[in-house]
Amino acid sequence: MTLGKSSISRRRFIKSAAAAGAASLAMPAIVRAQPSHYIIGASLPMTGPFATAGQLIAPSLKMFEAFTNQAGGIGGVPIKVAVEDSGYVAQNALANYQRLLASEGDAVIGYFGDSTGFMKLVAPELKGEQARLMSSTSFASELANPETNPYQFMAGPTYEDQFDILLQNIAAEGGKSVAFIHSNTEFGLDPIEFGKKRAAELGIEVKLIEATKPQGADVATHVTKLAQADAEYCILQGYVTGVWPQLIGGARQFGLPTKFMGTFWGMEKLIADRVTAEAGPFLDGYQGVMPYRYFYDSEDAPRYQQMAAFSKEHFAGTPLENYMPTWGLQAMLSLDLLALTLAKTAEAGKELTADNAAAMLSEIKDHDTGGFFGPNATIKNNKIGIGRVYQYSAESKLFTPTSDWLEV
Amino acid sequence: MIIGNRKTSYLEDEKILNNNYKKAFVFGMIALAIALPFFADDYTILMASLVGIMLIAVVGVNVVIGYTGLLSLGHAGFVAIGAYSVSIIHNLLGEWGVPDVLQPWLALPGAMGVAALIGILVGLPSLRVKGIYLAVATLSANFIIIFLIEIDTFSQWTGGRLGLTTPDPNFFGWVLDSQREVYALIAFCAFATILMVQNLFRTRVGRAFIAIREKDYSAEILGVSLLKYKLTSFAISAACCGLAGAMAAYFYAKVLPEQFELALSLQLVAALIVGGMGRTMGPVFGTIIIVLVPEILKISMGAMMGSSIEAAQLRAPIQEIVFGGLIIGFVLFEPLGISQIMDRFFRALNRWPFARG
Repeated sequence: MTLGKSSISRRRFIKSAAAAGAASLAMPAIVRAQPSHYIIGASLPMTGPFATAGQLIAPSLKMFEAFTNQAGGIGGVPIKVAVEDSGYVAQNALANYQRLLASEGDAVIGYFGDSTGFMKLVAPELKGEQARLMSSTSFASELANPETNPYQFMAGPTYEDQFDILLQNIAAEGGKSVAFIHSNTEFGLDPIEFGKKRAAELGIEVKLIEATKPQGADVATHVTKLAQADAEYCILQGYVTGVWPQLIGGARQFGLPTKFMGTFWGMEKLIADRVTAEAGPFLDGYQGVMPYRYFYDSEDAPRYQQMAAFSKEHFAGTPLENYMPTWGLQAMLSLDLLALTLAKTAEAGKELTADNAAAMLSEIKDHDTGGFFGPNATIKNNKIGIGRVYQYSAESKLFTPTSDWLEV
Repeated sequence: MIIGNRKTSYLEDEKILNNNYKKAFVFGMIALAIALPFFADDYTILMASLVGIMLIAVVGVNVVIGYTGLLSLGHAGFVAIGAYSVSIIHNLLGEWGVPDVLQPWLALPGAMGVAALIGILVGLPSLRVKGIYLAVATLSANFIIIFLIEIDTFSQWTGGRLGLTTPDPNFFGWVLDSQREVYALIAFCAFATILMVQNLFRTRVGRAFIAIREKDYSAEILGVSLLKYKLTSFAISAACCGLAGAMAAYFYAKVLPEQFELALSLQLVAALIVGGMGRTMGPVFGTIIIVLVPEILKISMGAMMGSSIEAAQLRAPIQEIVFGGLIIGFVLFEPLGISQIMDRFFRALNRWPFARG
C-alpha cells in the first residue's frame, strides 16, 4: 500500500471532516483532541564519541521547555521535551523517534535529531501519521531541500553556505590561495566540491585538498603536505573536539604562516579555551564562520539575556553558569523556530500536522530571533543563510567578529 | 518420572521439531509473527524487524563460528555487501529495463551470491590460521569492505560516504514500501534461514563442519576436505549475512557505510555468545537479548526515573552499564548461553515435580 504525501488515510479524512464541521460551527478549529501536554522529542548523543556535545546540548532543551511554558506553551498547551540517548548511532535515534510516536502518538508535535545520519534515515519514513516537523544538529547541505526533505529544517546556513562565507571573506582580504583539510567523513566532505567551484569563481586557487581521519589523524604528514602546498589560507572542515587544534598546533611548530579557518562545529570557545590552557596560545588568530552571536555578546539580545538569567539560577557551579556553548545555542534556536512555526500553525487555526507546519515554515520571514543573529532571519529552502567571520584571541579567550553579517 | 523423549526410529530422531516443546515454541512464534502486523504499532514493528534482520545475520555467524569453529570478526562486512549489492543490482536491473516484479527475484539471490563469493575470499586465511589470528584476519576484511564502499572510485555505485537510497521491492505486484510490509518479508526470511541452516546440520556438509570444529586434522584424516568445507562454511555464513543486509536495505530507506562498521560485527558475535554457540536457538535468544534488552532498559528506566531531561542525562550511562553488566553476567554464569538455561528450564519442567536442573 502506497502512503504518499497526497494520499488520505481514514483517520486523516475523519480529522479533516471533523475540522471542517467545527469550523462551520465557528468552534475553535484545532480539533485534534488536545493532550494535557504537547511533546517535543529529542535524540542526543549522551553516551559514545560525542557524549560531550550531547551533555552540553541537553541543558538548552531544559531551558527551551521552561521558556515555552512560561510563554503559555504552544497554542495554549504546555510542552514537555522528551530526551533519549542515541549514542550517536543513527538507527538508535530512529528507534527513539518511533518509540516516542508509538507511546505518545499525536501529542508528539516536533523532534530534534542528533546527526545527519539520523535525518537521512528518518526522512523517507516521514509519511502520513509518522511525519513530524524536525530540526537537528546537522548543517548538511543535502538536507536543505524542501522538495526532498519537506519536514526538516536547519537553524542556520549549510556547510556549503559556511564555505561560501569564508571564501568571500578570503577574497575580500585579497587572499589568492587556499587549502581544504577535511575529515574523511560525510561531514568533512560535505562542502568540498562546492568549495572548489566557489573558489574558482572568486579567483582563489585551491592548492591542496587533504582528507584526514576524524580522530587520531597523522598530523605531521598533513602539516608537511600543507607546507608543500604553501597556501595562504587553510579551511578545516568536519571536526568537533579533536584534530583541528592539533593541525593548527603542528603548523605553528612547523613555522607555517598559514591562516586557519573553521566552520560551525570547529568554532566552540570551550574547546579553544581548553586547548589554549593545556597547550599554549597557538590558536590565537584562528578564524571561522559562526551563524550566531556568541553567548557573551548579549547586548540588545533579549533571548540571550533571558537564557543567561536562567543559567545563573539553574546551572550554578557548572561550566554553563556563565556561558552557553554554540552547540547549545544551535539547539535552542532550532527549537525556538520549531515552536514558533507550530504556534503560527495553531494561530492560523490549523491542526499541528507536519504538512501544515512545513507549509508554515516558509512563512517565517524577517523574524527577530532575539539576538541569535545580527539581522532578522528568513527561512528559505528550509535553512537560514546567515553568518559572519569571527577570530579567536588567546589573550582575551573570546571570539570576536571580523566581518559584517553575510547573507548567502 | 519422565527421563527423556521416546523415539522409535532414526527418522524421528532426525526431525527438526523432534519434541512437543519445540513444536509449540516454533508454531507459537510463527503465529505471533503472522499476527504482529495486524495489531502492533510502528515501534513494535521496527523492533521485530530489527530482531529479524539481526537474527538472519547471527544464524550465519553461527554456521562459521558455532558449527565450524572458525572465529570471525568481520561479518558486518558481509551484511554491508548484501545491503549494497541488493541496491546496486536493483538499480542496474532498472537501467536495463527489467520489470519491477522480476527484480527482487534476481537481486536477492544476486546479493547473497556476491556476499558468498566475498565470504570465500575472506575465508581463505582460515586454511592457514586459526583462533585469534583468524579473527584478526577477518576483522581486517570488515575494514577493507567499508573502505571500498566509501572510496570515490566506486562511489558512483555505492554512493560513497553519502550512502545509497534503497529500492522498494515488488513481489507479485505488491510494492513493499512501508516498514510494516517489509517486516513480513523479514519474518519469512528469518524463519526460512533458521530452518534451512538447521537442516544443513542433518547433512554430510553440516556434519563435516562439526567435525572440523571438533578437531580439524582428525576431520581431514577421516576424509573431510578442509579446503572445501571451510570455504563452504564461510560462503554459507556470508550468504546469510548478505541476506540480512538485503533485508536491512529493503527495510531502511537509505544505507550508510557507518551502519556496518566494527560495532555491528562485535554485536553479531556477542549475540551468538550470549545465546549459545552451535545451537539452533542460540541466535534467536542472543538476538532477542542484544536488540531488545537495551530497549526494555530504556523504557523501564524511563518509567522509573521519569522523562525529564536531567533524568535522561543520568540514565543514559546507567543503561549502558546495566546492559554491559548483564552481558558479563550471562558469560560468567552460563558460558554455554541462554540455550543452555532454556534447556535446563524445559528439562526441569518436563520432570517436575521430581528432579530439577
